[in-house]
Amino acid sequence: MASKPNVARVFSCFATGTEVIDTVIEVAIAPGIPTFSVIGLCDSSIREAQGRLISAFKSTGFNMPKGHITIGISPAYMRKTGTGFDLPMALGILFASGQLYLPKDAKIYAEGELALNGEVKATPGSCIRLKSVQRNLELDYKLIPQNESSSAGVVGFKGQAVSSLSELTDIFDGNNYKEASFDFETERSQDDFIDISALKGQEKTKRALLISAAGFHNIMLLGSPGSGKTMCGKILAGILPRLSPNELADVYSMNELVEGESSVIKDERPVRLVGPAVTVGKLLGNAVSITPGELALANHGILFADELPLYKSEVLDFLRGPLEERKVHLMKKGNLYSFDSNFIFLGTGNPCKCGLLYESGSKCRCTESEKLRYLSKISGPFMERIDIVSEMRSVKGEDLASIYIDKDNGESLEYRKNVERCWQIAHERYGADHLNGTFPESDIRDSMRVTQTALRFASELSEKGFFSARGFTRILRVARTIADINGKEDVTADEISEAAQFRMRGI
Amino acid sequence: MILDNAESRFEDMFYSAVMLNTEVTYKTLCDLKDNMAIKDYRDLHDRELLKAIAKGEFKLRNDTVLRIKKLLETFGNLENIVEKYIQIAQANNIGVVSVLDKFYPYNWRALSGMPQVFYCRGDYSLIDSMTLKGSVAVVGSRSPSKYAQYATDQICKELGEKAVTIVSGMAYGIDRQAHLSSVNTKGGTIAILAGGVDNIYPPKNKDIYDLISRNGLIISEMPPGQQPLRQYFPSRNRLIAGLTDCTVVMEAGTVSGTLHTASFAANQGKEVFVLPNNIYYENAKGGLKLLEDGGNVLLGAENVIDSVARSVMYKRLALGCPAELNYYDDKEDFEGQNDIDAIRVLAKVKPEVISDDQWKLLIQDALSLKSLCVDELCVITMLPFYKVSKLLTELELNGTVCQEKGKYSLTFV
Repeated sequence: MASKPNVARVFSCFATGTEVIDTVIEVAIAPGIPTFSVIGLCDSSIREAQGRLISAFKSTGFNMPKGHITIGISPAYMRKTGTGFDLPMALGILFASGQLYLPKDAKIYAEGELALNGEVKATPGSCIRLKSVQRNLELDYKLIPQNESSSAGVVGFKGQAVSSLSELTDIFDGNNYKEASFDFETERSQDDFIDISALKGQEKTKRALLISAAGFHNIMLLGSPGSGKTMCGKILAGILPRLSPNELADVYSMNELVEGESSVIKDERPVRLVGPAVTVGKLLGNAVSITPGELALANHGILFADELPLYKSEVLDFLRGPLEERKVHLMKKGNLYSFDSNFIFLGTGNPCKCGLLYESGSKCRCTESEKLRYLSKISGPFMERIDIVSEMRSVKGEDLASIYIDKDNGESLEYRKNVERCWQIAHERYGADHLNGTFPESDIRDSMRVTQTALRFASELSEKGFFSARGFTRILRVARTIADINGKEDVTADEISEAAQFRMRGI
Repeated sequence: MILDNAESRFEDMFYSAVMLNTEVTYKTLCDLKDNMAIKDYRDLHDRELLKAIAKGEFKLRNDTVLRIKKLLETFGNLENIVEKYIQIAQANNIGVVSVLDKFYPYNWRALSGMPQVFYCRGDYSLIDSMTLKGSVAVVGSRSPSKYAQYATDQICKELGEKAVTIVSGMAYGIDRQAHLSSVNTKGGTIAILAGGVDNIYPPKNKDIYDLISRNGLIISEMPPGQQPLRQYFPSRNRLIAGLTDCTVVMEAGTVSGTLHTASFAANQGKEVFVLPNNIYYENAKGGLKLLEDGGNVLLGAENVIDSVARSVMYKRLALGCPAELNYYDDKEDFEGQNDIDAIRVLAKVKPEVISDDQWKLLIQDALSLKSLCVDELCVITMLPFYKVSKLLTELELNGTVCQEKGKYSLTFV
């Protein structure tokens, strides 16, 4: 009769996309001819752990035990990948073979890849995993690689960081586990954005940017080359409030998935710049490795689509979904993975082929049909999702000189205070995660407090062809934001008429 | 606007007397001016200068010198004639305007061969409002069909309501109808006569002559007392075409003075509109022929308004800001403009007391010059964007302004 195998159990987890699956790693060592098998739909990156384990054990003074070693990773029906299971597997083997003392009934969480010299290294996606672990599991010991500590700090994870396998002796045999929260260093933003006062003589665009920031409204700027459209991306980032700790975690976890631990932690909102050459794939992300694309990376920030009328129509059509839903979905082997993509869409473009349509004096050289064709590439349904449209013109010489002389950020900071106030009002109205532009569509009129006269006025405008019936609710949202900026309780006809000026009009 | 006393215009009237009673022609005058003999036509009343010219002290053409000699012979006689003019002018309240005056009609100034001196009776401020708001010549047959008469009535009224001034020749038929329909509108009416201003021709039109001299303006290039001779009519038609921004031909036979007016207008680069008519109606064939030659079909007042709006816009651009246009010493006469001025001044000093409607007037005033974008309107009115945008939406809603190519313009100037 064969003897009962020694079984040790360690908790870990893995992430696909933003979805975190808690896993249990069980190590059983039974006497017999030495074998090593890992079961539970693991790919070769996990099965190769044998080599790393043997070498790491030897380097740090442990031994690979003799006998049948079976490692089961559950849930066993899910495909798993990644080297983050190295440390929990090592721990399991050391506990099962008695090389380390396993405290009775202790729940142990571990993650990390092992180097051949026993060093513990970070693996991508740590932010997402640690956030979920901290939120969902009750554990006694939590061990993470030393260089995941900034991720841990961002998401508020508490545990102990280890840099080498040799430290485990001290923790378990020396009973020296210290749970602590982690500090992380934010790269303090220097406020090096362009001040909004640079938009001299472009009152409409200034106002448009303020409304867009205050309500998270998608915005489109049309203007001639050199009118400062591209600059507006940086200006808009400057008047948005800093990331809150929760948002910071969201943003960092996306960056961390793409760039790994080296990505810098900033409390500035991301500005993702995409150009006309962008593909659906780049926006969407990689469906094989489940890494986020531009849309997910722009979460809580700005997606800046330069020269929008030059985009391929398939890209524009694709964008409609994420703009409405504020989520991106990736499909891999029948599983759906979702990333949040709650951003301000800032589109820019020329109003016509030569770009000079709005300039004073008839400088535009386009024929009538060219004019009509140029912007009609951006379809009606797409424009329905753009709340604010503003026209821009090139600034005259004397104004240009003054732009570069005053390097004062005062005006943008004023605007930001205003925006912060509006966000507060909106959060009280809809709850913490929503603003006027992003609140999901469903009976929004009551909470918006639109007066009866204002509603009548809006429908009168709608009848006169100022905007379509579908644009109606967008107008109300923009008007609500304007009322917030003006510090008004109710939306009146005044706000509606201002909002109407920001709708897309015919050429 | 009160014109100078006729007495102080002796030199201007002397010029008229010279042109009418001697062999001195416009060509002679040009020769004198080109060779620096005289500065302007007023020097014709300088007897010493004329003597010097007659002696041959200037290098001039022979016939010019000859004509000046003849002028000198009749000099005293001419002065007597002018005295007579002055008597009639004073009795009939007739004013004298010359090309040297600031308030000479803008449209005439832009053309060559227009009268150096002309006479008028009535409300002279019409000339200025006409420059700013546009004018249309309405001409046609003396014995029009009911249809043409009806169309004249409708279109003149509609144009008059849009502050467009109607100019015609006070003849029977279409002319009479045009004056009658427009005399009490915002635009007002101007009659240009072939004879002197005091000379009611045709005499049966005395009723409208009285009406126009009270509520409109009567103009003539002929000095007071002059009979309307047959040969003066084509010149009069040329003045009608020259004074206005476009010409509307209501009905014209194949031989008609109306056709003269139309061809003068076309030669001056102005648009000609022709009321389409029945091809079997003999009295409309001249007009239809104009259509065949490329005249614009008159489908309604809107066509004319568009054309007028265009030329008014160019005029205003050439004249600069509307405020500078207001060159009267006597501001009371131009109430509308004066109002805007007051608001504009008030807006700079005490913007908080300006009502929304007054702001709208200011915006409309700014847009009447040329179309502007919102940002420019913000600068002009010195209002924040939210305020301007609110006003613009309301103006758009009631159809006063429209947006095109990212700019706002008045639906009609």
